[in-house]
Amino acid sequence: MGVQDSLETVQWDVSEAAHITVDNDYCVTCEDKPCLHLCPAECFDYQADQKGGIYFAYEPCVECGACMVFCGNDPEKGAVSWSKSEGGKGVEFDFG
Amino acid sequence: MTAVDFDVVVVGAGRAGTAAAYKLAAEDFDVALVERAKQPGMKNVTGGVLYGQILADLVPEFPEEAPLERHVVEHNIKLLHGDAEVSIGYRDMDLLEEPNYTLMLGKFDRWFVDRAVDEGAVFVPETTVRDVTQARDHAVVHTDRENGDLACHAVIGADGVNTTVGRATGIQRTMRNPDMALSVKKVIDVGRDTINERFNLDSDEGAAYIYTGFPEGAPTIGYFIYTYDEYISVGAVGGLEVLRWLGDEGYAESGTPLYSLLEEFVELDTVRPYVQGESLQEYQGILLPELSYESLPDRYDRRIALVGDAAGLVLNKGYTFRGLDYGIKSGLLAAESAIACDREGNWEAFGRRYDQWLENSYVLQDMKQHRHLPEFLKNERMYGAYPGIATETLRGMYSAGSDAQGLTWKQAYRAFRNSDAGFLDLLKDGYRGLRSL
Ligand SMILES: Cc1cc2nc3c(=O)[nH]c(=O)nc-3n(C[C@H](O)[C@H](O)[C@H](O)COP(=O)(O)OP(=O)(O)OC[C@H]3O[C@@H](n4cnc5c(N)ncnc54)[C@H](O)[C@@H]3O)c2cc1C
Ligand code: SF4
Ligand code: SF4
Repeated sequence: MGVQDSLETVQWDVSEAAHITVDNDYCVTCEDKPCLHLCPAECFDYQADQKGGIYFAYEPCVECGACMVFCGNDPEKGAVSWSKSEGGKGVEFDFG
Repeated sequence: MTAVDFDVVVVGAGRAGTAAAYKLAAEDFDVALVERAKQPGMKNVTGGVLYGQILADLVPEFPEEAPLERHVVEHNIKLLHGDAEVSIGYRDMDLLEEPNYTLMLGKFDRWFVDRAVDEGAVFVPETTVRDVTQARDHAVVHTDRENGDLACHAVIGADGVNTTVGRATGIQRTMRNPDMALSVKKVIDVGRDTINERFNLDSDEGAAYIYTGFPEGAPTIGYFIYTYDEYISVGAVGGLEVLRWLGDEGYAESGTPLYSLLEEFVELDTVRPYVQGESLQEYQGILLPELSYESLPDRYDRRIALVGDAAGLVLNKGYTFRGLDYGIKSGLLAAESAIACDREGNWEAFGRRYDQWLENSYVLQDMKQHRHLPEFLKNERMYGAYPGIATETLRGMYSAGSDAQGLTWKQAYRAFRNSDAGFLDLLKDGYRGLRSL
């Protein structure tokens, strides 16, 4: 089962406003692009026509926080600006 | 003196925050419990086993009242090595005397918040806290609601691993890859009877399984299976630093997602019998603090105290996780500090007093005692060489077809000589293991 199938079991109340944004200028010099395999919701996608190759979608984010740590806080990367979705919006787990 | 809206504002309605709000409300304090989710538990993820003694002290009737899954009677540690597995099982009916249960936070947190509200706490859902500031004689919690700022004497930051309170106030230093583990988890519908059959359990008994050794030699990567009433949870945990470099071809090439490792894990011959016929109910992901006692960040600033995961109070003991009860205990200590400050009419000492009490509590004593564990668990030999030696030795003992000959200790010695581990490594790791466990 691929992660996209797994994500079909998850519910969101998607906000109009993005709680995470990616500044692709940083991605241009990012060699290993760990976002592509470390985000557990595949929010980061490689698309050759994007600046730095990274296309980011906040909608399926499960709000784990990983991209803040491995990119936003990394002095050599820093493309990710991370915040929490507005009250009542974002991922909604049933089971926990 | 500035008028305050509440004596204390608690940010985050996980168990840590809710325990604090419950305690303060029971003591007739005006307390608000602010939560960004629509309902408690909707944003929260655990494994997991609640070691419930501390909750039983606060709410003695919880085992009868709370929505719990199974009463844990069995723990298993499994070392994987290729197609083989060496396991240590501990089953003890005396464990039924202890209030340790598997739980799902979706149901449990809702119940616990209802109990806090019954005591008089004001629950404020659908509200994300953006910042906390302090003035001379009060603190203010800034939320994303219009006119949603709340003035109070003290703030308890119980907002989990990615704490807003800790980061916005600068109490917590910036978290980096070595401080954090990533976890992904699946909740699978297996059915109550099938669980009892597969895991050899009776009625409401529960079991916990922890695995390491896959992929071979990759440090900090582990897996778990926990039994719920009708479902099981199966998940993977890995340090971000290792995951960043863990590759398709094995450890040290770049690029394997943790969810792919979990997929491979559930297909292993030794694991599949427990999870097969899976009907996936939910997929989840979350970070998990992986700090040692020495690397824990600060936990307070005057009128602000961080509790639970927000303060990094989680310990991966290798054979079990602790965090649920540490959260509850730290929340209670923050509440007790508020009670003491109110009695003295001086709230300036709120954070410092909490921190001192936490230092003397079993939570930090535990973390101190196990302070070498995180480092020990990063040792590659624990995930490759040693499970290999164990399986090879046992193969020699039990396999008629094996070419192993001679006494068991000789076979063990040969297995050791064939492994990557040196004699000094073994001595060093043995010493480290004894020292950290
Ligand atoms: C896979 C896994 C397995 C585990 N297994 C175990 C186990 O077996 N036993 C054990 O004891 N521990 C285990 N743990 C650890 C345990 O789950 C955590 O330590 C515990 O859940 C932390 O509780 P908490 O109340 O501090 O935080 P959380 O449960 O994370 O609660 C934080 C709350 O704050 C809210 N919040 C966050 N930010 C804001 C904001 N800005 N404004 C308003 N609200 C906000 C969130 O929505 C959430 O409700 C496990 C953890 C994981 C990930
Ligand atoms: S890790 Fe960060 S900087 Fe690197 S490609 Fe991904 S988003 Fe860009
Ligand atoms: S918070 Fe987690 S799920 Fe969301 S985009 Fe970042 S890494 Fe992906």
